[in-house]
Amino acid sequence: MRRALLLVVALLAACTATTPPAQTLTVLASAELADLEPVLARLRRDTGVELRFDLRGTVKASEELARGSTGHDLAWLSSTRYLKLLGARLPLATSVMLSPVVVGVKRGKADALRSASWADVAARAGSGSLKYLMADPRVTGSGSAALIGVATAAAGTGAALRDEDVRCDKLQGFLVGRAPDPPAAESLFDEYLAREADLDAVLTYESTVLRLNASGRLREPLEVVRPRDGIVLADYPLMLLDPDKRAVYDKVVAWLRDRPAQEDIMGRTARRPVDPTVPRTAELGAELGTSLYFPAAQQVLNTLLAAYDRAGRGSRVVFALDYSTSMRGARIAELRSAFASLSGFEAFHVGERITVVRFAGTVLAEHAVTIRSAADVAALNDFLASDDLRDGTAIWSALDHAYRQAGEGAVVLMTDGENNAGIGPDEFLAAWRGAPVRTYAIPFGEADPAELARVADETGGRLVPATEGSLAEAVEEIRGCR
Amino acid sequence: MNQEPGFTVVDPPRSVFRRKRFLLPFGIAVATALTGAVALFASGTVALPWQDVTVVRGMLASKREFFQDPEVRRILMKHRVQVEITPVGSRDLAYREDLHSFDFVFPSGQSMAELVYRRRAGKTTSPYKPFFTPIVLGTYRDYAEALEQRGVITPQPDGDGFYYNLSVPKLIEVVEQGTFWNQLPRKGGKDPVTNSNRVIAQTPDPCRTYSGSTWLGLLAFAKNGNQTPVDESDALRLARDVKPLFDIEGQHGEELAPKYVTPEGRTFAPVVVIYEHQYLAHQFRMLDRTGAADRERVLLYPEAQHETVPELLAFTPAGSRLGELVTREPDLRKRALELGFRVFGSGGSFDQSELSAHLGGRGLPSPRSGVGDTETWLPPRDLFEQMITEVGGCT
Repeated sequence: MRRALLLVVALLAACTATTPPAQTLTVLASAELADLEPVLARLRRDTGVELRFDLRGTVKASEELARGSTGHDLAWLSSTRYLKLLGARLPLATSVMLSPVVVGVKRGKADALRSASWADVAARAGSGSLKYLMADPRVTGSGSAALIGVATAAAGTGAALRDEDVRCDKLQGFLVGRAPDPPAAESLFDEYLAREADLDAVLTYESTVLRLNASGRLREPLEVVRPRDGIVLADYPLMLLDPDKRAVYDKVVAWLRDRPAQEDIMGRTARRPVDPTVPRTAELGAELGTSLYFPAAQQVLNTLLAAYDRAGRGSRVVFALDYSTSMRGARIAELRSAFASLSGFEAFHVGERITVVRFAGTVLAEHAVTIRSAADVAALNDFLASDDLRDGTAIWSALDHAYRQAGEGAVVLMTDGENNAGIGPDEFLAAWRGAPVRTYAIPFGEADPAELARVADETGGRLVPATEGSLAEAVEEIRGCR
Repeated sequence: MNQEPGFTVVDPPRSVFRRKRFLLPFGIAVATALTGAVALFASGTVALPWQDVTVVRGMLASKREFFQDPEVRRILMKHRVQVEITPVGSRDLAYREDLHSFDFVFPSGQSMAELVYRRRAGKTTSPYKPFFTPIVLGTYRDYAEALEQRGVITPQPDGDGFYYNLSVPKLIEVVEQGTFWNQLPRKGGKDPVTNSNRVIAQTPDPCRTYSGSTWLGLLAFAKNGNQTPVDESDALRLARDVKPLFDIEGQHGEELAPKYVTPEGRTFAPVVVIYEHQYLAHQFRMLDRTGAADRERVLLYPEAQHETVPELLAFTPAGSRLGELVTREPDLRKRALELGFRVFGSGGSFDQSELSAHLGGRGLPSPRSGVGDTETWLPPRDLFEQMITEVGGCT
């Protein structure tokens, strides 16, 4: 035994005498992880392993990984979700820490948004009263997660977003509030500091918001708002790309998941530990609420990005509304209330060009406005309040009139009767074949749904049935369709 | 020892080992390391350099939690066995190209073991069954209250509020009705939970994991009137019936059980498909740490249970040595209990089993697992594979 111990001493002495050369691993990392530097310094000191970060936006990094080898030893991204969307085979991955994507709102604007839903955020953004910074969703995980989150909430299905849910995109109002030139930077820390004066809020990781507050460099502190319909949570898996580095990967993972490192990560970067036994700091003690389900297909994200790119362009809707005498009473009241109650994702938003055409046997009146303020919406409702109901129903002539105003937007046609004046449906179709305008038709009362459906389908739009009492739902369903 | 040679013409730099400011910390370091090494050796955590340690390489899914346990590693090291783990989902495991390069694999259930057997045709494969554990749903008290009010679950009579019986057909009904969590009033006249997602149980990817695919099997069995499909067209029809239930979640997550026990767990998923041992191990850790059990997290046992007996499949003598140890070594069997597994005893039902006794000793009630009452049968292997691929769109 004594000899054995001496041998151990000798071996240990040999190990200690030559300081082991620092092992260096290259890591393709989400760019916000630059803030881990002090933690990595301790990792190196304790284990002799240096992680050399090559920083990218998470979405870009995922695309590179999905294409094949990047030559890195490890990858450390905010999530494997984008890799999975791209159908990439997942490497060995171990989650290290957590941070949700949230809305950081300036204290002065936060009162209205405490316990808000994404629809509330969208309505305020759409009305021009919330200007926010959000990173480029084509490049960054935070931007992509925010976009997917808000679109999932807007679809309101309570399920993962599908392609058909994005067909009518409800995000145009929300995107009105987006600050111009979305940064490709994953961390909005510096960007927000530089642009704070022009902004009300920032959509990014909770950790970034908390670090901004702690920086002492903000003119107005931010409050963390976690929309109540759900958030997207990042879990920062460390992935092994080069299987030959398995032993050192295990060493790094063990160190990172050990309590001191978990506490250090929480203290320095305001991310939440994955170790359930580490007590959260006061600012990280709050419940996060629920997560939104995450889409299963890349196609959904592509459709969503197309909608994102369209934002602010061609937001033009013409409403052709039947003001014939048969509408008198409950029906016209319901029509007015359907418009008055548009809110959240369906609310009229700043920059949207709205035209309302009242028709009976002929076009009775027209009101067109580009929304700039709440007063413009009020004026629209005043226009609808007219009691000027007349005889006759010239559906196709009214639609023809609407098409002249529609540009490349959409027309919402609402009628409660059969056509008995003006041109017929075939004449209308012949005149507008190939026009870049879709018709969404809401039949009501005695209207002929078959004929309306035929025309709507030919324009690329569709019929949205509304029994009495559900007109508001039908109008809501069509909002955002174009 | 510290003397410099007197006749040196040019003063050489003193060796770094001899500098005084180095010597003291070095001495302490050696002493510390030595003490540590002796302690580790005595505890069995490391073997001394001249002792042969068998490194046994294995591919494991959820059961790796057993081999990652420091106490298990220590006991194995006493027998000079060290396990090197490659973590992977059970179904991924069965299809891995490098399957044959391991000493052993440990898929989480029989259906995946069958796939391994098939690939091992003509090669040695020795099975060991050290323990078993049922597939269950882990959730939180407020969600359980909502499901109980709706009649989907009922508390187990002696479960002290920890365990419920789950009617899978009723759960399917609620899911298919498109129910949102915030539409379900809770027991005792309480308001619904604040959650505008649809009611589902979130599951690991059925393409990759045993628990995900078995949950698929449970849902399909219930949807098919407690029958397994008889032929391919039957299986595909059933798969298409079940697929919408999985599509609600969209992309499936990973490592659900470790996340379920974090304070942020309900944000990841309020109802998750996990194994019983993962929940029980959490409760034991809570008891160790705080002296009290976690009463916020509760388990739901499907009434028609599917018994999961994972097999450790040894390919080499080293793998067999490990298999022998985990099935026979008393300390390892005891440790398995402490980690929440059901071990095979000398016979008798679970109520008299060793895990039951262990739970009692820790002040926790024993669950009624449903095993032995009604049983869920998984479809024949080939049909089941087709169903998994259809539902999960596996690549």
